[in-house]
Amino acid sequence: MTTPTSSPASTPRLGELERAVMEQLWDRAAEHPEGESVREVLEGLPAGRDLAYTTVMTVLDRLTKKQLVTRARDGRAWRYRPAGTRESLTAETMRASLEDASDRHAALLHFLDGASPDELAELRAALAEVERRRG
Amino acid sequence: MYALALALIAVVLAAVAPRIMARLKVFRRSPRAALVAWQAVSLAAVLSALAVAPAAIPFLTRTHTIACASEECPSAVAAWRTQWWAVLVVAAVVTFAVLLPLLVSGHRIGTRLRAARTRHTELVDVLGDPREEDGTQLRVLAHATPTAYCLPGRRSRVVLTEGALTALPTGELSAVLAHERAHLRGRHDLLLEYFTVLHHSVPGPVRSPEALREVRLLIEALADRAASRASGPVETARALLTLAHGQTPVAGLGAGGQGATAARMRLLADRPLPAPVVALMYLYAAAVVALPLTLLWLAWR
Repeated sequence: MTTPTSSPASTPRLGELERAVMEQLWDRAAEHPEGESVREVLEGLPAGRDLAYTTVMTVLDRLTKKQLVTRARDGRAWRYRPAGTRESLTAETMRASLEDASDRHAALLHFLDGASPDELAELRAALAEVERRRG
Repeated sequence: MYALALALIAVVLAAVAPRIMARLKVFRRSPRAALVAWQAVSLAAVLSALAVAPAAIPFLTRTHTIACASEECPSAVAAWRTQWWAVLVVAAVVTFAVLLPLLVSGHRIGTRLRAARTRHTELVDVLGDPREEDGTQLRVLAHATPTAYCLPGRRSRVVLTEGALTALPTGELSAVLAHERAHLRGRHDLLLEYFTVLHHSVPGPVRSPEALREVRLLIEALADRAASRASGPVETARALLTLAHGQTPVAGLGAGGQGATAARMRLLADRPLPAPVVALMYLYAAAVVALPLTLLWLAWR
């Protein structure tokens, strides 16, 4: 396989392609309930003409490893489907980030560590103080 | 003797100093100097504990020379040998008791953090719409709950939701982005990871959760300073309230902050500490680190 997978220049391009491929799989999920083959994905992409078959195969392989798509055998080829809808994966991401905010082992750095409804009144009073002294 | 003094200092720096420092809220007004002091105290605690064994060695070799100058040299040497072995074992135990938990918790926490970040980056990269606001590359998630965070690391990301972009007016948005950029530029994640690892590697009774909370607050206060510089303390405070307001219905998971957000707001109203106080804080940090090193040097002199 000649597709470069690790050269620094190709990484951002692969990232963009992964996004484009996911977008297409989501958008056409209704038309392809059984998933799409590498050939179908390649032909559907706007930049498809300039892409090598192996490049798309690499992208789908990477997405499978990241568990963002699942694949099933169809004869000699694989058919790829998104691991979840765009909405369900977005919900998963949001849940992970909000849970992370209240975790002592936070993996992300949040602007806000979460505030309880009781805290809001205190925050309003504090804001008035900032506006009075620094405004 | 120096080894005992070092052991005592290690206990004081690990168990007593953090509890006192967590109460000195006035130092929050200069978060950078306060964080340097916290790093100095924790580093000095580890250094003192690790120096216990090396400091004991010269003491033992000197006992040996004195014993041999007397008449009962052979028996003294034999007695010294058993003593030497006993001390060596104790010293090794002390060193490993400090080093091993440190390495284990470092590895465990590091692996966990990196796995969570990798997974999150993968999701954000395919779900987030790449956009540029205020000179910052963003990934925007299609979700109504307003939230803003960054994924630290070599391939860092700043993530906002559509909800956050809708809720935040321009001035508040630049405050939020300046805050996140400060986190990434200053590698605050490494600082936080360092303190988290230390926290989990000391024995339970010595651990002080208030110290870890204080350090987290200082890191946020430091990024808030950057936000204040970019768009003023008032816009920064408003952005905190805007996001807190938008998140409360969902973040029923509990406020991880425990009043941290209100504390940050109050800090935005305060001016930084006067320069001489800040200088004293740096001096304190330097003295604390110098202490175990001086004792070790004295032991070997």
